[in-house]
Amino acid sequence: MKNVLIIGSGIAGLSCAIRCAEQGVKATLISPFPSERAQSVMAAGGINAVLRDCEAGDSVHSHIEDTLRGGSFLGGKNAVTGLCTRAEEIIRYLERIGTVFSVDPSGSPSRRAFGGQSYKRTCYCGSSTGKQIVSALVMEARRYEAAGLIERRLWSCFHSALIRDGRCCGALLFDESTRRIEAVCADATVVATGGQNSVFGKTTGSTQCDGYTAGRLFMQGVELKNLEFIQYHPTTVETAQKRMLISEAVRGEGGRLFYTDSGRRVYFMEDKYGSRGNLMTRDVVSREIYAAGRDVYLDISFLEQKEIDERLPEVRELCRKYRGLDIAREPIPVAPSVHYFMGGIAVHMNHETNIRDLYAVGECASMYHGANRLGGNSLLSAIYGGWTAAEEIAGREAAVRHYDFSGLAERESAALMSRMETESRFPVMYIRDMLSETMNEKLGIVRDQPTLTDGLADIDYYLSVADKINYDPAVMPYFNYSLTGILTLSKAILTCALSRTESRGAHYRSDCPQEDDSLAYASVITYDNGAFRVRFDKEHEYES
Amino acid sequence: MRVKVLRQLSPFTEPYWEEFLYDGPGDNTVAGLIDYLNYHDDIVDINGKKTTRIGWECSCLQGVCGGCAMVVNDMPRLACETFLRDLKGEELTIRPLRKFPVIHDLVVDRSVIHQNLMKSDIFIGAYQPSDGADHEHQYSVAKCLKCGLCLEVCPNYVNGDSFFGAIFANDCYLVSARNSEKRKEITELYHSHFGNSCSKSLSCMDVCPMKIETIASIAKMNRQRG
Repeated sequence: MKNVLIIGSGIAGLSCAIRCAEQGVKATLISPFPSERAQSVMAAGGINAVLRDCEAGDSVHSHIEDTLRGGSFLGGKNAVTGLCTRAEEIIRYLERIGTVFSVDPSGSPSRRAFGGQSYKRTCYCGSSTGKQIVSALVMEARRYEAAGLIERRLWSCFHSALIRDGRCCGALLFDESTRRIEAVCADATVVATGGQNSVFGKTTGSTQCDGYTAGRLFMQGVELKNLEFIQYHPTTVETAQKRMLISEAVRGEGGRLFYTDSGRRVYFMEDKYGSRGNLMTRDVVSREIYAAGRDVYLDISFLEQKEIDERLPEVRELCRKYRGLDIAREPIPVAPSVHYFMGGIAVHMNHETNIRDLYAVGECASMYHGANRLGGNSLLSAIYGGWTAAEEIAGREAAVRHYDFSGLAERESAALMSRMETESRFPVMYIRDMLSETMNEKLGIVRDQPTLTDGLADIDYYLSVADKINYDPAVMPYFNYSLTGILTLSKAILTCALSRTESRGAHYRSDCPQEDDSLAYASVITYDNGAFRVRFDKEHEYES
Repeated sequence: MRVKVLRQLSPFTEPYWEEFLYDGPGDNTVAGLIDYLNYHDDIVDINGKKTTRIGWECSCLQGVCGGCAMVVNDMPRLACETFLRDLKGEELTIRPLRKFPVIHDLVVDRSVIHQNLMKSDIFIGAYQPSDGADHEHQYSVAKCLKCGLCLEVCPNYVNGDSFFGAIFANDCYLVSARNSEKRKEITELYHSHFGNSCSKSLSCMDVCPMKIETIASIAKMNRQRG
């Protein structure tokens, strides 16, 4: 039986594992913690699909157009067509496995308006759509676990890919419970590790999503794409421990953004963009809030309390709990914050990387969202990507290989343990903190060449000490060995931002404020013995 | 504020109490407090002696992933939504959930939760709703974090050998409500691993971060008996 190793057990990894199992391919799901801890559970607002009973005038074609336009036409057109065409099938599948959608009187999933979309096509489950989908997928995966077709390995962390002769043969995994590195061979390896939030410290996402896997793979020859496109979600709220997301569902239900001027409310988005101004794409709204240069609020208090409790119960509870404010009575103070990474591991339409038998799905991969993602398209692309990779893997002949990686695993284990046994005067976690300061200061909503160059100098310094410092024995080994990969990825992000000398989608350069047609292509970055090389994909090599 | 933490370096070593002095912001949560102790400066105990960082698990930091379940002042809670201002007294005690094996400090292995659901085949499979199913309750039940707080507080749950606790009861309800064909089979499992042994203390509901009304699941499952 063919076997596939899937790194990450959120919605993309789970979808891939289930689709593999359905086709008789054994899937091993690798993650230190269970799926309930994945960032997927934090996705609130919904999942886009044009269903048979869609709003009059809506069509799959319109969904494709909105997605491409929202992404400034840098999303792969063929891939986006596939994504939107199968969206209804995905919703029907989620219904069949028991996802608790909010439903209209006919029993069909309810839909709400989302930013950058011509019609109401965002299906939802209250304001906990990601959590409800995870619950359903975990149950569905369970039936295949019981049948031996899916195996979960908890406490395991990715260390590096096993690459021989241009093919990926599996991965080295570090097991936190045994503290050993083990080689696990597989016919195919799928990376589903989410975005790289924690290079920015505590963002709206999970602390577990740190970008290490993408960074390490980059160092092993995997190409990355569109890293400069980072979505700042326009409506997040400050709390004592992190910035928390106020779902776009609030604006989808009619929420209005305003600031006050001499005691008068100024609905600046509506003033500039008309009645649908609050539902412009996230990149536009974030820049307008930034440009307002004053405290901005989001108001939904004009809705009946009953309506808020029916459609946005989790948002009301979050604000009450962490800010002591009642959204049914008062506006929410909001500001943009890092939320989603359109860029990541470069993949072809079948989700394979430039290394054969190595795939990437979900937020860690870059394919559908171009320069800016539409709300409601991330859950959709996570499931679609997982399916696409699984179908490709199942359709291929299993490779016959006879490599023995046990010696490599032993050597890596010994090297890691010898560094762990030393006392550090310069803890790894401090460098992680300094990195997040650099990334937040140097790679904001508005960027320019001198600031980005400063950021690169900072990261070069961190990289210069990273391999010399002793590991910090007081934190988990993973946090130590992941440092260089995370720093390398961060340097790649800044390098791409510096290379794109134009403004497009979520990437805004104050020193190059216009779009440049000669740069209307995805950026691709490669790593070669410490050298970072950026090219623009004018041949569309990743769109097939 | 004095903070006592029950620590354990590995599954194979003995637990011990260690005390810390917290001088950080008063509006913090317990999660924020642990982070402050760990990374505000080099970590030292209450006597100023250098010690190791406190191990704990977290992901979302906003009460929706269940990672940071622990016992704070003898009450099972999520650290990220337990505010210092709501706690009484000048001293804080933190210990890991004790119904699960400790991996490191406050990190415990809760895989028994998933194992029990897997070995009893708790999945919906094909959506075929029962008549009059309660959509609102299903929505609530499907938000279960599998954090284990309900098992920690339960007087009947020991280690998951035979009695599987409120998590199991709620998932049984969800499956039977959304796939009527599985109702009979699930009802039998429900009674053997929950219904026959639950003493109805309902302490599970007091600690559930998602406020799941397990009593409603119990009532609906009991009505399905026979």
